[in-house]
Amino acid sequence: MAQTEQDPIIRLKNVDKFFGDFQALKKVNLEVFKGQKVVVCGPSGSGKSTMIRCINRLESHDGGRILVNGIELNDSLRNIDAVRSEVGMVFQQFNLFPHLTAVGNLMLAPRLVRKKSKAEAREIAMRYLERVHIPEQADKYPVQLSGGQQQRVAIARALCMNPEIMLFDEPTSALDPEMIHEVLDVMVELANEGMTMICVTHEMGFARSVADLTVFMDAGEIVEAKPPQEFFENPEHERTRLFLSQILSH
Amino acid sequence: MIVVGWLDEFMWGSLVVLQIFFLALIMAVTWGLLGAAAKLSSNRAAKLTATVFTTIFRGTPELLVLLIIYFGSAITLTSIAQFFDPEVKFVDIPPLWAGSFAVSLIIGAYATETFRGAFQGVDPGTVEAARSLGISSTKTFFYVRLPQMWRLALPGFGNHMLSLVKDTALVSVIGLEEILFTADIATSVTIQPFTMYMVAALIYLGFTTVIMYGVRLMEKRANRHLEGGR
Ligand SMILES: Nc1ncnc2c1ncn2[C@@H]1O[C@H](COP(=O)(O)OP(=O)(O)OP(=O)(O)O)[C@@H](O)[C@H]1O
Ligand SMILES: [Mg+2]
Repeated sequence: MAQTEQDPIIRLKNVDKFFGDFQALKKVNLEVFKGQKVVVCGPSGSGKSTMIRCINRLESHDGGRILVNGIELNDSLRNIDAVRSEVGMVFQQFNLFPHLTAVGNLMLAPRLVRKKSKAEAREIAMRYLERVHIPEQADKYPVQLSGGQQQRVAIARALCMNPEIMLFDEPTSALDPEMIHEVLDVMVELANEGMTMICVTHEMGFARSVADLTVFMDAGEIVEAKPPQEFFENPEHERTRLFLSQILSH
Repeated sequence: MIVVGWLDEFMWGSLVVLQIFFLALIMAVTWGLLGAAAKLSSNRAAKLTATVFTTIFRGTPELLVLLIIYFGSAITLTSIAQFFDPEVKFVDIPPLWAGSFAVSLIIGAYATETFRGAFQGVDPGTVEAARSLGISSTKTFFYVRLPQMWRLALPGFGNHMLSLVKDTALVSVIGLEEILFTADIATSVTIQPFTMYMVAALIYLGFTTVIMYGVRLMEKRANRHLEGGR
C-alpha cells in the first residue's frame, strides 16, 4: 500500500476494543496527519490509554482497522515490530529500566533493534540526552534522578529510535508540580520541530498552545474532535462542557 | 596427625563434590527457569506439570529422591539391556550423573518458586517499554526481565546453592567417592570417627563460606543501581 503525503499517518477506522464483556473503545475514528499534534482528554476510564496503546499494539483491537504509516496493524509480528520501531511511547510512570544507567536506557533499543555498535549507540544516546537538557546525568541510575529527569530520559529513550510518531500517556501526571514544566518544555520543543504527536494530558495550557486537534473521549467514544480554539471556546456537546468546567475550575 | 595420610582422598572427594555442585547447579537453574516460566504461562498443561514437579520434589525426602532416581533408572536400563542381551546383570547411569540429576531436581523445584516470585516482582511497565521500543520478546526477556529478576532472586537462590552443596553429601549412598564417603572409609580404617567427620564438616564449611561470600558480592553488584536513591 503506497503512502502519499495526503494520507493520514495514523488512521483508526471504527475501532472496537473489549476487555471481556466490557467495551473500552466504541467505533473510534481518528485521522492524524504527518506533523499534527493531537491532544486527547477525557474522564478517567474513558479509554484514552486504551486508544493510544492500540496504536502501537500494546493492546490489540477487536474490531475495525488501524493503519500506521501505511502499515495495517494485525496479527503479523513483522508489522507490529515495524510499527513499534516507528512509534515512540512515553508512559505516565516513566518505565525506565532500573538496572541500566540513563545512557544505558537510551542505548538498549538502538543496539538490539537497530544493531548499532556500542560506540554509535552511545553517541546517539548522548545526542538525545543533550536534547532533553540532561547530558550530565548520563551515568546515573533512574533511582538517582528526579521524576522530571526520569521522564526526560524516557522521552529521549523513545527519540533514540528516530520515530515518526510520538505517543504520550499522561506524561506529567506522576510529577510534582515544580517538575511539570521541564517536561512540557521538552514536549513543546519536540512539537516545534515538527514531530507527529498524540498526547493524553489534562494540561490544557499545553493543548491550547501546541495542539492542532483536541479530542474529547468519554465512555469509550470520541465525543468531540476540534482545533483547540473552537474546542475550548465553543464545545458542542454537553459532556464536553461538563468535563471542561470540571478541569478548568481547579 | 593421622588425617595427613588421608588428605589425598579428601581432596579427590572435594573434587567430586565440586563436579556434582556445578553439574547440578546448571541443571537446577534450567529447571528453575523452565518451571517458573511454566507456572507464569497461561497454558494450563504447563502450569499443572510445573506444580506436580514442585510438589513431588519439595515434598519427598531428598535421600529417597536420590535412591529412587538412581535405582529406578538402573532397573529401567537393565531391563532394556536384558531385552537385547539376556546375559547382562546390571546397568546403571554413572552415579555422578544420577546424583547430580537427582539433586538438581530437588534444588530446581525450590528455585522454581524463587524465580517465579522474582519474575512477578519485575515491573511489567519496563517490559511494555521495551516492547514499545520494538525490542523482540526474546531479547526483552534476556535484557530487561532476567537482570531485574536476578536481583530479586539472589537472596533465595543463595540459600538454594548452600542446600545444593550440602545435598552432595547424600550422593555417597549410591557409591560416589565424595567427602562423606571418604570420611566413612577413613573411619573404618582408623577408628577415629570424630576426627574424620570433623574434617569432612570443615571442608563443607569451607565451600559454603565461599558461596556465602560470593553471593554477598553478587548481591552488592546487583543492587548497585539502587545506591544513592532518592
Ligand atoms: N487490561 C484491562 N483489563 C480490563 N479492563 C481494562 C484493562 N485496561 C483498561 N481497562 C478498562 O478499560 C477502561 C478504559 O481504560 P483506560 O485505561 O483506557 O482509561 P483512561 O481514559 O486512560 O483512564 P485514566 O485517565 O484513568 O488513565 C476502564 O474502564 C478500565 O477499567
Ligand atoms: Mg490512562
